[in-house]
Amino acid sequence: MTTAVFSLRRRALLVYGGFGVLAIAAQLFAPLIGSTSISLTRALDGTVPFAANIDAQIFFIARLPRTLAAGLVGASLASAGVMLQALLRNPLAEPFTLGVSAGSSLGAMLAMLVAPPILVLGVSAVPLATFAGAVGAVSIVYGLASARHRGFSTDVLLLTGVTLNAFFSAVILFLQYHADPSETVRTLRWLMGDLDVSGYGPIVVALPLIAAAFVIFLWLPRGLNLLTLGSDSAAARGIDVVRVQRLAFFSASVATGAAVSLAGPIGFVGIVVPHVVRLLVGSDHRLVLPGAALFGAAFLVGCDVVARTIMAPLELPVGIITAVIGGPFFLWLLFRRA
Amino acid sequence: MLQATGVSFSYRETLVVSDVSVRVGPGRVLGILGPNGAGKSTLLKLLAGILRPTAGVITLDGAPLASYSRRSLARRLAVVPQETHPAFDFSVLELALMGRYPHLDAFELEGMEDVALARAALETTGTAHLEGRAFATLSGGEKQRVVIASALAQLGNRESGIRNRGFELLLLDEPTSSLDLHYQLEIAALLVRLNRERGTTLVVTTHDLSFAASVCQELVLLRDARVLGHGPTEEVLTADNVRALYGVEVDVQYHAAAGHLTVVPLALNRP
Amino acid sequence: MSVAAVIRHSQHGAVRAVVLFLIALIAVVAGGGVWWYQVGRQPAQPDALPQAERKDTPPASAARPRPAQRVVSLVPAVTEMLFAIEAGSQVVGVSSYDTYPDAVRQLPRVGALVDPDVERVLSLEPDLVVTYGSQEELQQQLVRAGIAAFDYRHGGVGHALDTMRTLGARTGHAREAVRETTRISTALAAITQRVAGRKRPRTLLVIGREPLAMRGIYVSAGKGFLHELLTLAGGDDVMGDIPRESVQATTETILARAPEVILEVRSGPKPDATTIDRERRAWSRLSGVPAVRSGRVYLLYDNALVVPGPRMPLAAEQFARVMHPEAFP
Repeated sequence: MTTAVFSLRRRALLVYGGFGVLAIAAQLFAPLIGSTSISLTRALDGTVPFAANIDAQIFFIARLPRTLAAGLVGASLASAGVMLQALLRNPLAEPFTLGVSAGSSLGAMLAMLVAPPILVLGVSAVPLATFAGAVGAVSIVYGLASARHRGFSTDVLLLTGVTLNAFFSAVILFLQYHADPSETVRTLRWLMGDLDVSGYGPIVVALPLIAAAFVIFLWLPRGLNLLTLGSDSAAARGIDVVRVQRLAFFSASVATGAAVSLAGPIGFVGIVVPHVVRLLVGSDHRLVLPGAALFGAAFLVGCDVVARTIMAPLELPVGIITAVIGGPFFLWLLFRRA
Repeated sequence: MLQATGVSFSYRETLVVSDVSVRVGPGRVLGILGPNGAGKSTLLKLLAGILRPTAGVITLDGAPLASYSRRSLARRLAVVPQETHPAFDFSVLELALMGRYPHLDAFELEGMEDVALARAALETTGTAHLEGRAFATLSGGEKQRVVIASALAQLGNRESGIRNRGFELLLLDEPTSSLDLHYQLEIAALLVRLNRERGTTLVVTTHDLSFAASVCQELVLLRDARVLGHGPTEEVLTADNVRALYGVEVDVQYHAAAGHLTVVPLALNRP
Repeated sequence: MSVAAVIRHSQHGAVRAVVLFLIALIAVVAGGGVWWYQVGRQPAQPDALPQAERKDTPPASAARPRPAQRVVSLVPAVTEMLFAIEAGSQVVGVSSYDTYPDAVRQLPRVGALVDPDVERVLSLEPDLVVTYGSQEELQQQLVRAGIAAFDYRHGGVGHALDTMRTLGARTGHAREAVRETTRISTALAAITQRVAGRKRPRTLLVIGREPLAMRGIYVSAGKGFLHELLTLAGGDDVMGDIPRESVQATTETILARAPEVILEVRSGPKPDATTIDRERRAWSRLSGVPAVRSGRVYLLYDNALVVPGPRMPLAAEQFARVMHPEAFP
């Protein structure tokens, strides 16, 4: 290399461009694939009325929203994973480490088992309760982490999160134990993640939350780099550590909460994608965070294609696919680098 | 001039630093000496502006630290922690470049000048040849020198490079505590060189008396959060003071070959 | 330190072996899963009226046992059958989910599928206990206690009838059982007769979904009594080719299979008309489905619809009425 200047800017362009192309390609191709074969020309044929055009309905109602949801959820979970790994200085952290998933799952269980059928802004009880559960869990964790210390203790954050996860999980088990067996099956299925949003409504509602989180993400990568050195080192390099920690915690939580209420707690994306991206581009969060968002989107879109086609017309829970594809892929990458 | 006046700091109702007044003039090397738990690291963090005093005031060139923005303070004053363990793998050059962050705009990436600065800083600490290595794979002494390089890069600016502009302050927290003898001397030599050749003002906490004697021109002695003594090394580093600090009988003598005072422990002082 | 660094610092040979082993393991498990699925879906045996699979353990003692006098039933469907064959007075304990017939409300509860209370079961001194096929632990305990077990598994219409006849033999109500099963078969045949020759509407039978949303939609597929009732009530099950009792149906599957009638069966209490109307309108999101376009989405709230047993003709008739309204003027 002549100088590292070009290499940093060029690397940034390469990473954004490379993963960007991957994400866009996934978004473009995924709606063309499905359990039924449809004709794209017929789907886009304006002369046939939409109500009578099954190909168009499958394309625009079943597949496109679903692919968009997969992209949004994948991007959210992967970047939330990056945030939490940097915030907690722990490579094993993931979006669900701090109780968000257990809190939202508890909300979802309650909605499925006892809530009355309600609609708010076109959103039904389960996603509402899911997001409420996430907000509840995040508030408890944040309150406890801020209470005993001036500033923000990431150790308390981690311990509270893990404890809360265990506690909520116990409550969830209690609810399932007392539920009708057929309800238990449905609640279990929800826990495996489901991207079949059947329309744009849920996406439109989740989008502002996810967009807000991503706007905050834009400001954080440099702070995250410094946080990985430790909070004193970070403070000595001119950042407001507590502010960066709070912003990272809240933005990651909002993105996770929105993603979970859109598609359930899809596992593995939030831990494997950040590591895969790091193995490919290094640890600089200015590359890792956008890279993980884009790759996370592409990855989940791809996994969803597999989930809905491999046993068509049956569909596998996408959470199984993310683990089955992500696990060996990650190991292979690790092994190749080692 | 970095000056603390009547500074106290308490952590959960415990007074960790109590009514401390201390100052370090430009181009000087100040050692903060004291037993474990005396409040050395806390004082260093107060002086660095990482912690805010609960009482008293700390000024840099007459203006309170709190009046500086975090970034402008970071451009004047850099900190080298006791140990640095990044949670993820960064290369040596990447780590040195982190020193440039206080100089960058919100979405700016490091430019050519920043890279040149970081490389010059690595050169100064004798670690330029490591630039492509992963930081985690370095030895303790190499890591410490890379972190010092990152601090130098932080104090430099794009117009004058890493040349000292007369007021750069480097605060180091027990820089040799986890190193073997060889690396201890290497770091000591590097600090002396930075001070002599660049005029870098240094504040160093340590409980290594020989290190303090060889590097520091002035000492502040801390015991139980309070200042026991403050002044030139030759005046402050006495057998009486060491006994008061550590409860150890010592012999303090000038060592001609070493060129500084040496402290030889003799016995525990049982009251 | 990243995971990669951990690997880098450890012994390469060992890591290599472990990683390769894990990859191989995952590949084998994944491959096995697909194979199991492929094999599982192959034999689409039409079990319209199959031989009942008898898995009940005969009592240890006599060749011709005495009829059971004290029966504990952990299976609500079987409780209902017992009452239908006039063995209700011999039932001394039921599961925590039993609600039908009303007489069960006074009986002691002994837990259910996942939490059978063995002590309570034994304290009722039963001579026959009806268990689910998967309750192996409970069955073993019963064997040790010398109590006969009747091992129930879900099946089709024929299986339900066989089960009733077997229960008749075991409880000394063989004649009543034959009479009752004949009544059911005759009633079902009458319904089939009534809709015979009419065009079978392509029908989707939904057994559960998220309230007011088109999510988590579970449907009945090509196996089990619901599929059979739908078929003999004159419907063409759009999911009939899938050899499962129930599956989760995606939006795409529902759009692609284009049912002309959508039947939603719910076991809970019937809600008010507004809620039912809102639930029906939730389907409007899938306006491309013929059933939605023509307004042929029906929500049926009735416990009879989801229990295999004596009330099957009631269910079949409700299905037939919505699929062939013109046959029921």
